[in-house]
Amino acid sequence: MGHDVMPGEKPARWWATTGFRITLLHLVLTLLGTVLLAGIGFWASSRFAGQQIQAEIERDAGVLLNAGRLGGAASIALSIEARIAADRSGTQYFLLSGPDGGRIAGNLSTAPRSAGWATMGLDAATQDSVLLALGTPLPAGHFLLVGRDLAPVRELEAQLLGAAGWVGGAALLLALGGGLVVGRSVVRRAAEMERALAEVEQGRLGTRLLARPGGDEFDRLARRVNATLDRLEGTMAALRQVTDDIAHDLRTPLTRLRQRLEALEGPEAEAAVAECDRILEIFAALLRIAQIESGARRAAFSHVDLNAVMETVAELYASAAAERGQVLETALAPGVTMQGDRDLLTQMLANLVENAIRHGREGGRVSLALRPGPEIIVADDGPGIPDAEKSLVFRRFHRLDAARSTQGAGLGLALVAAVAELHGLAVTLEDASATSPPGLRVRLKA
Amino acid sequence: MRILLVEDDAGTAAEIARGLTGAGHLVNHVADGRAGLMEAIGGGHDVLVVDRMLPGLDGLGLVRALRGAGIATPVLMLTARAGLGDRVEGLDSGADDYLAKPFAFAELLARVHALGRRPALNAEPSLLRVADLEMDLLRRSVTRAGQRIDLQPREFRLLEVLLRQAGRVVTRNMLLEQVWDIHFDPRTSVVETHISRLRAKLGEPSLIHTLRGAGYVARPPDGA
Repeated sequence: MGHDVMPGEKPARWWATTGFRITLLHLVLTLLGTVLLAGIGFWASSRFAGQQIQAEIERDAGVLLNAGRLGGAASIALSIEARIAADRSGTQYFLLSGPDGGRIAGNLSTAPRSAGWATMGLDAATQDSVLLALGTPLPAGHFLLVGRDLAPVRELEAQLLGAAGWVGGAALLLALGGGLVVGRSVVRRAAEMERALAEVEQGRLGTRLLARPGGDEFDRLARRVNATLDRLEGTMAALRQVTDDIAHDLRTPLTRLRQRLEALEGPEAEAAVAECDRILEIFAALLRIAQIESGARRAAFSHVDLNAVMETVAELYASAAAERGQVLETALAPGVTMQGDRDLLTQMLANLVENAIRHGREGGRVSLALRPGPEIIVADDGPGIPDAEKSLVFRRFHRLDAARSTQGAGLGLALVAAVAELHGLAVTLEDASATSPPGLRVRLKA
Repeated sequence: MRILLVEDDAGTAAEIARGLTGAGHLVNHVADGRAGLMEAIGGGHDVLVVDRMLPGLDGLGLVRALRGAGIATPVLMLTARAGLGDRVEGLDSGADDYLAKPFAFAELLARVHALGRRPALNAEPSLLRVADLEMDLLRRSVTRAGQRIDLQPREFRLLEVLLRQAGRVVTRNMLLEQVWDIHFDPRTSVVETHISRLRAKLGEPSLIHTLRGAGYVARPPDGA
């Protein structure tokens, strides 16, 4: 997504988007469901097959024991031979052993003579099959073992597992696809809104979000946002009208007053003109800050050569620094530029340098530095600002009680803050040094 | 010069008209934008002084309509607005110069004079001269009585602005705008410092004169 975001805010990482989260949740739930379903199916089928085999063994054993009751061991042996001959699947196993443990009939060589159910390896050599067997002691020391190969059950289990894998895979793919579709539409709508609101943030207050009539919750949200923007635009227009009216209604009579005063002679008249200018200046600064804060100036941004601006400002204030016996040091960085409003950036830097010169120690040094980034640093060696007051100085009309109230209406730094914010520059105030007086270092960083 | 003043505030208009008349100009005043446009199209004025906010048709619209009609009479736009983009907007509309209220009358007069004798674009001179001082804009060289004088780029630009308006007052604000591209008053002596450095380089007798409360003017030494 290549649109503007708020200064200092990175675009959302893909894993942090609602779309991704919805997809992931969908996926996990589907996976859990599939595993649960497959597990139940597997358990039930496997149990059923096992019971089936058990029932067959019991039936076979029952028939053989019956034969034994009627015709003795010989009858059992005969019956076993017949069964083995008839078993095409090769999964039935029998053993009839004599009192000495030797085999009388059957296709098993040896087997433990324990009564009841048991599982055993079919053959020490092959070992690939497992038998489920039912041992029954017969009269006169004979012993009958009837077993079934469990391979078919194992095969069924393997097939079930395979099928579950396929079904699970398909379900996952479907869940992923569904999640992506849902997630992408959420992400797309959110991105549309973000883009439109970024436009508004850039000062294009006429931008509106797309809202389909009827529509889903996004459309409802968009309509609500649009209504808010209508209101904001109306307020801004009214504010602009008010400032225009104030500007016109007050500046015009003040201009006339100034003209009249100018026509008078003498130092009193000159002082009155200066006072008049001062009022108009404060007034202009207030209007300007209001206008900058409205963000409307961003539309007029262009490529600004910051280095050249710094050079000009240093030149403008070299004489003022010299008057206070200060050295104005500059550490420039040719080629450092930024998108911005040249007039405003110049004025902002001028305010900072003027402030540093005014509050710096007489005969001291004021330094002005530019680094790529861009990063601008203006430092003085004056009394500095107590930590408790550092956050207050950018407020309109705020003036420190003691050292920093030599002159000015306190609008200089408020303008700095407004211009910095317009340009996405973070302003930090620090002590310039650990010695006393600490001095003040103002750092502006993109 | 014949000057058309389009200003709706009667008090301000009277003051400006009186000042301009006092400086020897003929002033024609109208208070309405549409009437101003009609007058301006009627022609015969050397400079138009137009307020930005006017009833009927505002200053920007007036200048745009005028330029649209192919009339190139220089326009000085006045504004009561403190707006930041207003200067750019005003110049974009076709105005030649822009002055925010309040202003010292000397400032207005200097700018009207500068506009009134602005040479046509195709007649841009390449050689500027006052007395024995010559500035060659193509070779970017300055000589006085044949002696070459080395100037810093800023000093060169400062002298160029003064020489282009030779004989007419150039105010401190005009210098800040045209030499430093600064549209606010830094309240430092940057202009004075550069002027005195330039004077020192150019030597005696001085060709750059200070008019107290008004500005600077480049002209031959008094009596010459």
